[in-house]
Amino acid sequence: MQISLNGNVHSLDIDPDTPLLWVIRDEIGLTGTKFGCGKGLCGACTVHLNGLAIRSCITPVSMAEGQLITTIEGLAEGEKLHPVQQSWISHNVPQCGYCQSGQLMSASALLASNSNPDDADIDAAMSGNICRCGTYPRIKSAIKEAAKNLQAMNDLAYEVKV
Amino acid sequence: MSGQTQNGNNALLKATTTRRNFLKVSASAAGGLSLSLSLPGCSVLDKKGLDDAGRWQANAWLEISPDSRVSFTLDRVEMGQGTYTGLTTLLAEELDVPPVQIKVVFAPVATVYRNPDYGMQLTGGSNSLSSSWQQIREAGASVRMMLLAAAAEALQVPVSDLKTDRGFVVHEGRAKRLNYGSLAKLASKQAVPANPALKKPSEYRYIGKLNKRLDSHLKVTGSAVYGIDINEQTPGVDGLRYAVVSRSPWIGGRIKRHNGQALEGKFGVEKVVNISSGVAIVAKRYWQARKAQEKLTIEWLRENDQPINTEAVFDFYRQQGKADEGDSVRSEGHIDSAIENAHKVLEVEYRAPFLAHATMEPMNCTAHVRQDRADIWTSTQAPDLARVVVAKVSDVSLSDVHIHNQFIGGGFGRRLTQDFVGEAAEISYLAGGAIKLVWSREEDTQNDFYRPATLHTLRAALDENGRPIGWDHQIISPKIIDWYVWDAAPAMFPWAPKFMYSMLGHTGLMTEGTPITPADTSAYEGAQDLPYSIPAIEVRHTKADAGVPISYWRSVGHSHNAFVVEGFIDELAHEAGQDSYQFRRSMLASSPRLRNVLDRVATQGQWGRQMESGVFQGIAAHKSFGSYVAELVEIKIEHGEIRVLKVVCAVDCGLVVNPDIVTMQMESGIIFGITAALYGEITIEDGHIQQSNFDDYRLLRMNQSPEIETIIVDSEAHPRGVGEPGVPPAAPAIANALFKATGKRHRRLPLKLS
Repeated sequence: MQISLNGNVHSLDIDPDTPLLWVIRDEIGLTGTKFGCGKGLCGACTVHLNGLAIRSCITPVSMAEGQLITTIEGLAEGEKLHPVQQSWISHNVPQCGYCQSGQLMSASALLASNSNPDDADIDAAMSGNICRCGTYPRIKSAIKEAAKNLQAMNDLAYEVKV
Repeated sequence: MSGQTQNGNNALLKATTTRRNFLKVSASAAGGLSLSLSLPGCSVLDKKGLDDAGRWQANAWLEISPDSRVSFTLDRVEMGQGTYTGLTTLLAEELDVPPVQIKVVFAPVATVYRNPDYGMQLTGGSNSLSSSWQQIREAGASVRMMLLAAAAEALQVPVSDLKTDRGFVVHEGRAKRLNYGSLAKLASKQAVPANPALKKPSEYRYIGKLNKRLDSHLKVTGSAVYGIDINEQTPGVDGLRYAVVSRSPWIGGRIKRHNGQALEGKFGVEKVVNISSGVAIVAKRYWQARKAQEKLTIEWLRENDQPINTEAVFDFYRQQGKADEGDSVRSEGHIDSAIENAHKVLEVEYRAPFLAHATMEPMNCTAHVRQDRADIWTSTQAPDLARVVVAKVSDVSLSDVHIHNQFIGGGFGRRLTQDFVGEAAEISYLAGGAIKLVWSREEDTQNDFYRPATLHTLRAALDENGRPIGWDHQIISPKIIDWYVWDAAPAMFPWAPKFMYSMLGHTGLMTEGTPITPADTSAYEGAQDLPYSIPAIEVRHTKADAGVPISYWRSVGHSHNAFVVEGFIDELAHEAGQDSYQFRRSMLASSPRLRNVLDRVATQGQWGRQMESGVFQGIAAHKSFGSYVAELVEIKIEHGEIRVLKVVCAVDCGLVVNPDIVTMQMESGIIFGITAALYGEITIEDGHIQQSNFDDYRLLRMNQSPEIETIIVDSEAHPRGVGEPGVPPAAPAIANALFKATGKRHRRLPLKLS
């Protein structure tokens, strides 16, 4: 079986019902994606499947075959952090940090589909991600800042094009 | 762990502390300068273990390499609370190096890294900053002075002509800038300053000013390594296999028989072994072990004739409370005559449930136990207790157990208990080779060491004006020391042979309350130190242990006692026909710092203002771990649930090292406290824990999270902790608001509308 992860293709010899999470962590060796509940209840394992946020702990690897998967390790472009990663740092979001990969993957998927989310949009997109340290107020502010920065980047790109 | 009270703290052995530190300097192997900071008596301790004066050693280790890299060995764990940033800032300030340039290394186990307040190497009780404040700054200041002396020697100028500037020694007249690395070797030969001068607060460049965390970049890129991230790529790990454990479905069950041997060699399963806590399956891959676990059938024997039930636990507490009035832990005035002469006596019962810690990173541990050496990779709050549990299940002696500690995906006290380390070590010992044990969420919820359930009976004697003239508080609960001592006592006496471990535990319990083992105050902390002026005060503790495993849980005894004390005070305000805030205020003359935070939230949160329809305010204040916190909440009832809309918080934690970390910890504690107040409850039926995952053990989510505003009180008092003190006031503030909303007193946690 072959899966594409962060732009690299990996050949795997694995039970097709193995959750994608364990394939990412144990077979491919990328440990930024976390195990939290195994039931899709906490969002710590969130990755992108063709750009959409999914819970990798309840997604069999067979479903990911031939799809494009992105993990936290693939969110930045080289050294350049994604706007959500930047705003997470400027808002001091992470505490223990364990859930934050999942939070960032949910937030970046939200911004990809909604460039200007309001509180209700953020609540709807982010309430599947639990943070035991209680970083929610900061996550909310950081998403809004990232949205603004993305907007500015897009405006700039538009101007450059014109 | 619990913090300071007037009687000391919860540590099993309260170590005596002295500020007269003793610095040792040597050239490091790499040609740099390394400095260790210790106390007189440390060499005695190394040889003999215990000494009256030198029971502990202080704890910094810093190295400067020739290329000016500065590394700081952090002897307190980073579990979100901010030690990685806070303690590094202390060193950076006095060494004069930007904090971001310092490499932080997690400490191995060594007596030098023991927490001076506990005599053990553990992180808890919100005391990391408080107990490291002096030593780490002195460590930095001493080295800075030695670097200056080295530069003076090299340049042949008086030291007074030199100053330091962010990693350089500067001579302005000669326009010289020497980096620390180039001076390290020469500096290592300088005399160690006896009393290094510390900066005045007005000179601080980073303390009180640095507002960034040093671990953020690692944590937003997925590159911070937690215990669960250990794998074949980790240095020292090879031949790694995965393990899962099936444990008794009830508290108190042991294996009768199982079909494990039939699974070996199939489904990727390599070995099935019986360990103390259950049956372990070792497989090539994690998912293989999990799937094989479903095929494992185990017959269990009950060890308890009477299976535990939650309601029976409270009934048992009630009976014990009636049979035994308890040990008096505070007695002022004459409570009996106050009750006798009262115009009215109010008598109520409060209770708080068992709670799970529910760290986001489930319990896990990678162990490789050989005949003469064990390596443990995990996330633990108490590395030296981890050594004890490994020694207990293997042939390895304590000093040959090497703990490789990692970032911690949530501690909250759960990782003070080392059961998961013991399991991994036992599996590795029996199955051979390196194994990685990962608990499922269900296993994590059902095999916790819980926040103890407690029952409280309270009586207040009121005069004819409704003013309290007597306060009698009986707390009925188990004692955490009874559960914790067995691994903790041997950790304190690392020289002791293994056959003495049990004896040490018994000794620890027998000597509790003596200078050898200070009293375990965790059951009554936050109740004993009732801050309100009342003529007669009686606080009593009756021990009752129903056999449910318990441990420390973020803010420990304060987590239930604040709810009880601040709830009952609110009742008394109502009885007296007074405003909740003004009533408290009028009795806080002897606790001005607590009164001040109360005032601050009342002002900022506009206490008593006209509220929009359906929104109610509640207020509470509590001191814990040396810090004073008040919270004013606004709640409403929405779709049959209590919803906290807003929290205004004021904290006085003394001098602040990193203001935004203080704010973060208040937000964190508040959300943790709200979660417990609204949802937190572990129940037991027929010996079985009924909750299992986040669907039935709910945690607050983004859409339920309130707006939080935090005020930090300016203070130059000794810095105190912030990791826990935000938790206690949340539940009573909500309960007090709920009384306004419903007209009904809510004396049980979690708060329920019906």
